[in-house]
Amino acid sequence: MAEAGAPILSARHVTKTFGAGEAGSVVAIRDLSMDVIEGEFVCLLGASGCGKTTMLALFAGFLLPTAGQVLLRGAPITGIEPRCGMVFQSYALFPWKTVRGNVEFGLKMQGVGRAARREAGQRFIDLVKLTGFEDRYPVELSGGMQQRVTLARILAANPEVLLMDEPFAALDAMTRQVMQEEVLRIHAASRKTTVFITHSIDEALILSDRIVVMSARPGRIKAVLPNKLPTPRHVSVQLSPDYTALKAQVWRLVESELQAHDETSRAVAPKP
Amino acid sequence: MSQAVLGAQVTPAGRRLRTSQFLLALNFAAVAIVLLLWWAATRLGWIAPIFLPSPGDVLHAGRITLEQGELLTDVLVSSRRVFLGFALAAAIAVPLGVVMGVWRPAKAIMDPFVSLLRPLPSITWIPLSILWLGIGEMQKVAIVFMGSWIYILLYTLESTRRVDPLLLRAARNLGASDVAVMREVILPGALPGIISGLKVTLAISWSCVLTAEMIAAQNGLGALIWQAKDWGNLPLVLVGMLCISLTVLVADWLALRLEWLLLPWERARRG
Repeated sequence: MAEAGAPILSARHVTKTFGAGEAGSVVAIRDLSMDVIEGEFVCLLGASGCGKTTMLALFAGFLLPTAGQVLLRGAPITGIEPRCGMVFQSYALFPWKTVRGNVEFGLKMQGVGRAARREAGQRFIDLVKLTGFEDRYPVELSGGMQQRVTLARILAANPEVLLMDEPFAALDAMTRQVMQEEVLRIHAASRKTTVFITHSIDEALILSDRIVVMSARPGRIKAVLPNKLPTPRHVSVQLSPDYTALKAQVWRLVESELQAHDETSRAVAPKP
Repeated sequence: MSQAVLGAQVTPAGRRLRTSQFLLALNFAAVAIVLLLWWAATRLGWIAPIFLPSPGDVLHAGRITLEQGELLTDVLVSSRRVFLGFALAAAIAVPLGVVMGVWRPAKAIMDPFVSLLRPLPSITWIPLSILWLGIGEMQKVAIVFMGSWIYILLYTLESTRRVDPLLLRAARNLGASDVAVMREVILPGALPGIISGLKVTLAISWSCVLTAEMIAAQNGLGALIWQAKDWGNLPLVLVGMLCISLTVLVADWLALRLEWLLLPWERARRG
């Protein structure tokens, strides 16, 4: 992880165990250390159950580590941290607020006045191309549009780090591609530090500056791969030999992980 | 086949309209048939008038009490008792329910009392309430209150606890304080459930006031029915019963309008 620039977000020997007692407890993450550099786009890649969502919840302060530390700019995170804004997979929009009310929520919480809020909110609504839908309620929007509202809501709140928990997993393939390009465009413009969780190798390759491959049960870091594919990345990047080579490399890591996971599951499974 | 349908220009909207008109016609037809049977049964002497008066007698009794002004007074008196008892119950039970929903010690303190009081029908409070409050207005209001508050409390508690925890996380992640989470997430999130609870409880409040009026009251719809029974005036009993139905229907309609105004997002959801 010898990248230039200061780490903004770090995990230091983090272990997270769920449930108490010897029998019932599950170790979701064991002794995980990683740094996120200011301005970079990191993808946490791993199969389901590898603890990547747990890691993101630790970065957001939704969970606290059982052992080790999670640091934001060198200071430990001790509770829900508004400086690490979360984009939820299931949107988490307030159903009783309009698009405008949702997008302005963070600003309202920061005490921004009505007029300034309105102006800033509109800028982000325009940015995610929802102009004209300001007064609609979330229930009236498609999945892709709802995820855009979540994105605008978090960008308007202007956190220091963006955390994204498989935000496009519930979208159809075409909408997902459009949203990925949107996120790249926004990241290129804002250079906002982003930690993005995915189980899609292609998504990780298209979006990231760096890919962190996680191993499952307990969650640990398997490998860290810099992604040097040229930017700005268009869909056509997927046709380049570099892309294919990197994808093969990632796939080998993930595949060996899946096999290992399979064997451990079989080993633990009760005998018939 | 499909061309014939297209040629007939039966749009889905048109079909829906026709279906709803048909269903409305069925409503009226069903009522008309029951009225006709009622009329026939009394007219042809299948049922003696001391067991069931004819529709004409009921109409006549209704017109007389209406002209004397007594009927309207009774409706208003009962409505006022319901409104006062219900409003008092809501004013106390809604905030209490919200607090119990978000703060577990409050729930722990209230739980034993809720468990003890919930199985008691409001009618069991009548002896104590008469002893404490006499048979005036306060006693009727108290009976409505005792019969209503616990349902409002339970509905409010349940709705508050069922606010999506993901939304609470999201609000905190966006920088919301405790007060802001309460105002911006918990209250609006619980509101649809609270309003449903109030609607259900309103009908219960009405049954409470009628019970109280039947046992000890000078006026009100419950007293009207009970006195009519004592005089053997069966048509007037039926007039009273019809009035109760109509009044509760109007109250329900008003509650529905209020819900429509308060929950614009639910309106959007229902299309």
